[in-house]
Amino acid sequence: MADFRIAWATFARDLRLELRTRESLNAMLFYALLVVVIFSFAFESEAELTARVGGGLLWVAFLFAGLVALDRAFVRELPGDTLTGLLLSPAPRAALMAGKFASSFILMLAIETVLLPLFAVLFNVSPAVHWSGIVLTVVLGTWALAVTGTYFSAMSIHTRHRALLLPLLLLPVVIPAVISMVQATQVFLGRSGVADYWWKLLFGFDVVFTTLGLLLADIVLDVD
Amino acid sequence: METPAIARPARPNWIVLWGSLTLTVLLIGLYLALLWAPEEATMGIYQRIFYTHVPAAFTAFVAFFINLVASVLYLLRRSRLADAWAVAAAEVGVVFLSINLITGPIWAKPIWGIWWTWDARLTLDLVLWVMYVSYLLLRQLTPRGDLQPRLAAALACFFFVDVPINYMAIRWWRTQHPQPVIFGGPGSGLAPQMYVALAVCCMAFMLLGYVLLRLRLEQEMDRHALDDAQRALLLEDVGG
Repeated sequence: MADFRIAWATFARDLRLELRTRESLNAMLFYALLVVVIFSFAFESEAELTARVGGGLLWVAFLFAGLVALDRAFVRELPGDTLTGLLLSPAPRAALMAGKFASSFILMLAIETVLLPLFAVLFNVSPAVHWSGIVLTVVLGTWALAVTGTYFSAMSIHTRHRALLLPLLLLPVVIPAVISMVQATQVFLGRSGVADYWWKLLFGFDVVFTTLGLLLADIVLDVD
Repeated sequence: METPAIARPARPNWIVLWGSLTLTVLLIGLYLALLWAPEEATMGIYQRIFYTHVPAAFTAFVAFFINLVASVLYLLRRSRLADAWAVAAAEVGVVFLSINLITGPIWAKPIWGIWWTWDARLTLDLVLWVMYVSYLLLRQLTPRGDLQPRLAAALACFFFVDVPINYMAIRWWRTQHPQPVIFGGPGSGLAPQMYVALAVCCMAFMLLGYVLLRLRLEQEMDRHALDDAQRALLLEDVGG
């Protein structure tokens, strides 16, 4: 129970910080918007194309925007060296990590909530598509990216070129999740097939990597 | 002014022994693969790249497995030697998987008519390659010290659980690859001489991998010894 309170405190603190400083949230949103706009120039935004590759376009946009949010997860702690403060506290590392997972997840979802309708408009997604299926995919897929990305964000703050290293570490590991979320989304954008299998795979990915990230939290959250 | 002697681990003669053994087996393998083994019925001479393609993949997988075991050992024991094994194995693995990924398209072009296809096995190979390149980059971009091996070992654990998930995702996504020829059903299989050539080539590649790994291992341990000596010198300067 105490662990849960610590996780909640970390989570609430992160969100409060983001809401107060607003600048990064605004910047992330605008960046995500730019990605979608650039995509509509790079690809013909016709309904027929969306039916074929819309899932891929949507998730690449989410991934780019997400990388900015994920980078923030631990970079937020650098200016005042608050990370050292966190690490000197007796709080279990796994609880801190769990709080960070949750705050990254919520921030990414917030950006995606704005991005998804925008994408639907710019890429002429039919309003009749099965939205609940897409939303479930987004939730499962975002958790997959948030968990792995937050862990690697903790890893990359110790390194040189940290902003570059995060995608280098994250992208190879999330390949199976990316395949699953793109395929599941595509099912609802007009390709025949069932999303069940992909949801199960995404759920499995989420469970496995959340567990691993919490188990190995000590390794990246350690005072040197 | 006397230059302090740096304690350097004595280098045994193993390199001469293992090196010449590897070279011999490699030459025998080359002879068996290119001249002695019979020509394949449909693919003709192109099939002979098989004796490089398969052993390279085999060696790479063994190297990645060593990397995993060494990484877990590092996390449990925090031993420098385990970490040195992990780096050496990852580098050797990337080199051999690169050979596999380069010979693949060369073979595929005349036979399948295309360089590359996103079929399950090819994709998985590529994903594995991408993963271990990112592992080596992480090591390169992390400052030396205790942190570097720790982060690298954690990443290796992530890879370990990621591979089976990848396997399922990719298999569901794309399966068009020809079924395994070697242990496939009736009608498939190799001529006995082909097995011999393949086995010898595998042995040659494994030996080569081993020699490279040992060399890299010693280099890594030398580096640690050098770092220690430097640190000792610095402390001496401060103290005296």
